[in-house]
Amino acid sequence: MSADVSRRLIVGVGNAGVTVLDLLAMADPSLKGLLVVNNDPESLAGTVVRDRLTVPAGDPADGFLAIDEEFGKSVAGASFVVLCGGLGGETASFLLPALAIHAKSNGVTVAACVGMPFAFEGKNRTELAETALGKLHAVCDAVAVIANERLSGSSPSTAAVGEAFALADRTLLACSRTLHGMLSTSGPVRITRADLKTVLGAFGAKVLFGSGSASGSNRLHEALETALSSPLLIQQGKTTPGSALLGVKTVLLLLQGPSDLSFAEVQTAVSGIERIAGDRCQIKTGVLATLSAGTPLTLSIIASSGEGARISKAEISSSEILPEAIEPSPGTAIPGAAVAPPIRKTTKSSTGTERQPSPSKQTQGTLDLDTYQRGRFDKSEPTIVAGEDLDVPTFLRKGIKLSPPRRS
Amino acid sequence: MSSDQIFVGLEIGTTKICVVVAEGRSEDQISILGVGETPSRGIRKGEIVDMATAAECVREAILDAEEKTNVEIGNVWVAISGGHLRSLNNRGIHVLPHPRQIEQEDLDQVQTNAKEIAIPPQNIFLHTILQSYHLDGNRNVIDPLESEGMQLEADFHIVHGMKTRIHNTLRCVESLKLEIEDVVLGSLASAQVVVTQHQKDLGVLVIDIGGGTTDYLIYQDGAVRHSGVLALGGDHITNDISVGLKLPIARAEALKIQEGTSTDPTESHGGVITVKNDPGFLGCEIDRRSLETIIHCRVREIFELIRDDISRNAGDLLGLLGAGVVVTGGTARLPGIAETASDVLDQTVQITTARNVGGPLQTFENPQYSTAIGLTKYARLVTRDLRPVSLMDRISKGFGGLFGRRER
Repeated sequence: MSADVSRRLIVGVGNAGVTVLDLLAMADPSLKGLLVVNNDPESLAGTVVRDRLTVPAGDPADGFLAIDEEFGKSVAGASFVVLCGGLGGETASFLLPALAIHAKSNGVTVAACVGMPFAFEGKNRTELAETALGKLHAVCDAVAVIANERLSGSSPSTAAVGEAFALADRTLLACSRTLHGMLSTSGPVRITRADLKTVLGAFGAKVLFGSGSASGSNRLHEALETALSSPLLIQQGKTTPGSALLGVKTVLLLLQGPSDLSFAEVQTAVSGIERIAGDRCQIKTGVLATLSAGTPLTLSIIASSGEGARISKAEISSSEILPEAIEPSPGTAIPGAAVAPPIRKTTKSSTGTERQPSPSKQTQGTLDLDTYQRGRFDKSEPTIVAGEDLDVPTFLRKGIKLSPPRRS
Repeated sequence: MSSDQIFVGLEIGTTKICVVVAEGRSEDQISILGVGETPSRGIRKGEIVDMATAAECVREAILDAEEKTNVEIGNVWVAISGGHLRSLNNRGIHVLPHPRQIEQEDLDQVQTNAKEIAIPPQNIFLHTILQSYHLDGNRNVIDPLESEGMQLEADFHIVHGMKTRIHNTLRCVESLKLEIEDVVLGSLASAQVVVTQHQKDLGVLVIDIGGGTTDYLIYQDGAVRHSGVLALGGDHITNDISVGLKLPIARAEALKIQEGTSTDPTESHGGVITVKNDPGFLGCEIDRRSLETIIHCRVREIFELIRDDISRNAGDLLGLLGAGVVVTGGTARLPGIAETASDVLDQTVQITTARNVGGPLQTFENPQYSTAIGLTKYARLVTRDLRPVSLMDRISKGFGGLFGRRER
């Protein structure tokens, strides 16, 4: 059946996974292919997701064996699986990689969207999370890592603990939706799985993610602004929206929205990101404009930065993904600053050539674009015609050089 | 003096608020009694962004006009502009059950039918302007009333805009206990006084460049064929100067008025303009060529946008204009603007102010007042007691009373 070909499965693992899938199910009740896996019967009893797998309490390895067969049934016929959960806990840290291996062995594309613990949750948890993340990277086609610590950096220090976790959950939700959307795109403007792998296949790279939605006549601009203001897209110590995108090699852009999404809007989104990321950045765009008119437009951006090392599957033997292979460096007390250093320094020649010069060096010359000036119209509704922000002085957009005024 | 012979036009512009009080004379003539005006605050790009401040400015302008003319103002005609306004042409068809004389009701019905089109749900109709009637295949019937026929068709130019934004303007005026007779598209009002009926028959493009918006309207064979609003105007020129030459806005505005020209910088004589010291501002010397480049780029772009919009929506109408292009509005006072317009639009261009009106010379010699004066002329045409059957009259009836529609 053709329905089976495009069958997608979103699996939420652990308490965080269940929460995220609950949010997902509530946001879009028509969404099919949701599955929650947890060892906590209480949390499973409270969820609105219909398909649930209860893992028996105790050793997670035994627990996994108990659900192995049932999970296999769910995966069968799916064309891709998105796993999501928060790493650090015993359940998710073991189950996520295990489920990924299982799904992968069925020949399914597997993407994972995971949250890394906050620093205050303890070093032990952080180490456990990093181990699991290493395994996930070895198995999955794409791994999007949301570093909770970096999210918390953006909220005021007086923010309630609950709020910090809620923000982490919301980001995880938006990210798994985006991954799901990216894997679902079809037609002329799409993001291929290869693109996803390029951006999210590198271990140790910081994942930059932002998402925003808006409706109304100015929806694109508003959505873009919200997306760029996401904490993960702002470089630490800066306030400019989207500053972390500066110098990134590839950006994945997904536009999900109503069927009246116009070509000009797509163009505006691309040029808006290009303006920030520099013109050497490759922007891969996916458009899912099938929803009914009137639904808000959601714009999501995924990119990765930093010294990510690509690991080819062949180089990783099963022994290497065991915990001992990964030595957490002393600097990883703050997991958000860098998720982890590259697994091994002995990466093969293929990884060596793909390494890029550091982003800050690459884009020194394009800093002017960051200070794109709208002057007095900075705060007012932009005049956008055919994708161009006409509030920006014409001579700037045309790149005409003027002789500067001489102070007398 | 009977009050229905006095017409008050109110233009809430981005730069200034202008109230024109005029007296209706015979033969559709009007005579200006006086003008009240005040600089605008709380208005951006032709739309109210600060209701309380804007209302206060309108009050000042009304009081100024009352003082100068000794007329107590109760009813006003309000001009409307803004980037949210859209236009389209549509044909209404009304088939009678059997051939008979066309009655007024049939004309009303055909207009209602023409409005059976999809406009965005948040929009309302502002104008339904008659272009021409067709009766049983007989094209361009000037007045089908009392002719015998069966299939009545009519082409209309329809202008619609966002309900909330139009209502904001109305609420601002109503909060001052003024009664609104009708709201009129800014360019339509201007056109009543800056071009003659003869020019409308030959074909003319009216461009009203104000502070925050550029409104344009194209006539052919005496009827409106296309209209548009760009949220660009003189403020953008000022902002460009401010950004490009690093001057405060007030300095940039003064520089634009005193030294600005829109002439092609390649024909510049060059030289240096000295901007004097001011408390808090160090004087500087500016290359004249830079100033001309900034202004020329922006002005040229505005005309290019108009040209492209017309060719996209109205075909090669621009090439068929017998009476060329007429430019009015505050920014029309910029030297060299006619040459730039002529260069871009490939038409003869005139800078025009209100004509065929009586009253103090200095008011209608200034293109800034075209819209407000045009409102009074429009009011005169719509409300005149004698109704000789003419195309103009039919068109006038086509102008819908917004209030009538709101109540329905």
